[in-house]
Amino acid sequence: MTASEVVELIRKNQGIPWNDRSTRDTFKVGNPDSTVKGIATTMMTTFDMLKRAHAAGLNMVITHEDTFWNDRDDTRELTENPLYKLKTEYVLKNDMVVWRDHDHMHAMTPDYTVLGELRSTGIKGIERVTMRPGILTIPETTLGELAAQVKRSSGARALRCVGDPKAKVSKILVGPGYATPRMTPEVDVVIGGEQQESDGGFDNVEYVMDAVSLGMPKGVIMLGHVISEQAGMEDFGNWLRTFIHDVPIQFVPAEEPYW
Amino acid sequence: MKRAHISRRGFVQLAGAAGVVPLGLASAQALTAEAAIGRIQAELGGEWPPAGPDGFKAGSPSTVVKGIATTAMATLNVLKQAVQANANLVLTYEPTFYSRADGRTPESTPGRGPGGVDAADPVLKAKRQFIETNGLVVFRLRDHWQARKENDMVTGLAGALGWSTRRMKTGDALYEIPPASAEATIGSIRSKLNLRGGLRVVGDRHATIRRVLLFPGSMAPATMWQRYSEVDLIVAGEVREWENTHYAADMFTAGEKRVLVTTGRIVSEEPGMRACAEWVKTVVKEVPAKWIGVGDPYWRPA
Repeated sequence: MTASEVVELIRKNQGIPWNDRSTRDTFKVGNPDSTVKGIATTMMTTFDMLKRAHAAGLNMVITHEDTFWNDRDDTRELTENPLYKLKTEYVLKNDMVVWRDHDHMHAMTPDYTVLGELRSTGIKGIERVTMRPGILTIPETTLGELAAQVKRSSGARALRCVGDPKAKVSKILVGPGYATPRMTPEVDVVIGGEQQESDGGFDNVEYVMDAVSLGMPKGVIMLGHVISEQAGMEDFGNWLRTFIHDVPIQFVPAEEPYW
Repeated sequence: MKRAHISRRGFVQLAGAAGVVPLGLASAQALTAEAAIGRIQAELGGEWPPAGPDGFKAGSPSTVVKGIATTAMATLNVLKQAVQANANLVLTYEPTFYSRADGRTPESTPGRGPGGVDAADPVLKAKRQFIETNGLVVFRLRDHWQARKENDMVTGLAGALGWSTRRMKTGDALYEIPPASAEATIGSIRSKLNLRGGLRVVGDRHATIRRVLLFPGSMAPATMWQRYSEVDLIVAGEVREWENTHYAADMFTAGEKRVLVTTGRIVSEEPGMRACAEWVKTVVKEVPAKWIGVGDPYWRPA
């Protein structure tokens, strides 16, 4: 089976109209006609992850995030970059091939990134797991206790919070990666991967700081982008096994990058 | 003109010292927010298009200015401190109303939900009410302050880190500091900036740090690709994790002994807005100017 044939099977089974204009969901490096010996699913094609996939005998990488350090994987400014050359040569030398599934994964029901995020944070009770799963009510707790539980459960080293740790909270909104949901009057806590701190489409940080000044019980928990979508790529690998039986499929995590 | 201006100011100072300001004269001298901003704009130069981020965000430009406050972000807490300090003109580097739209008609942001904030939002309404009740005027001063050739966003941050004399050449944000381990250098950064839980580090913890690039605010990938190999350490406000953080992690895997530190966007911008208050004092001399800190928004759970 070739990498292109794997992608064809995914397209067919994903069951949503394929957007051929997506700049994200394309082959990034390597030969699509390469024979697949094994598939690694991962949150992000880090150089470290590529090495571990190769060591495990997996030459096709299916990644949720980028390979070349920008959202579109635009490599025009990178052709002379030594790190780009090193990473590209590593892939080609080892007959590896990298394909990204981002936009279409988020359009699936369930959205496996959110399913994994819920499992890794220990937040239960959402039935329809889509990219924007709606408000979840949990038994009342404090923001500080909730954040501590999410940190323990997810193992995130660099998890950051905004808000009053003593605030009593129960209405939760969860989102994956950079799709950190926007805070609304109905929500107590937003849990996401990462978000621009200020000057974006909606700035949760300043909004929550002001809500705290007004005595409103609100908070943000930022898991980190990798941590928030990591577990979902394990679920995605399990899903691939339901229709790809000829080659081994293994989840190869991208490590949380922060000390 | 110039002589008349000086003598007027001299008189106000005298009258102020005596605690008496004759009513008619005081109103003739009154400095409006519009006039104060006009002076700042003239000094900074450049175009100030209505659609740009810089401009009046709340309050009436005809308000008489009692004092000026500069800040990285005009949070409600900062505005309360401004009122206490009798500063009714607030210059903010970041937005006031929770988005780049900053109180204007929300723009649609595909894939990220609608931009901006509903006018009926209770937090937004309470903030607008506070501004109105206290007669504040809020002006965003970002692009033009950052574009100033002295770039005090960078020199301010260098000063806060104790590196003012270490700049390699003017016009660039490269600094050469006494060599120290990455862990020691980051310890020093932690102790000198107003941090709680926002600082994050990626790269080689055993690197020796000598050459540093400072990048307050948000750093795009092109800067990272062009400059990371020149230095041992980049200190930035924020980057995207799947872009520049990923690059720094891959450089570490490739054996490069370098480090990327992000302090948080606001924390990185605080010293530059502190410097802005000092600069404002040289441009608008009739009223006091002071900097009001925001603090690190982030904390870490137990």
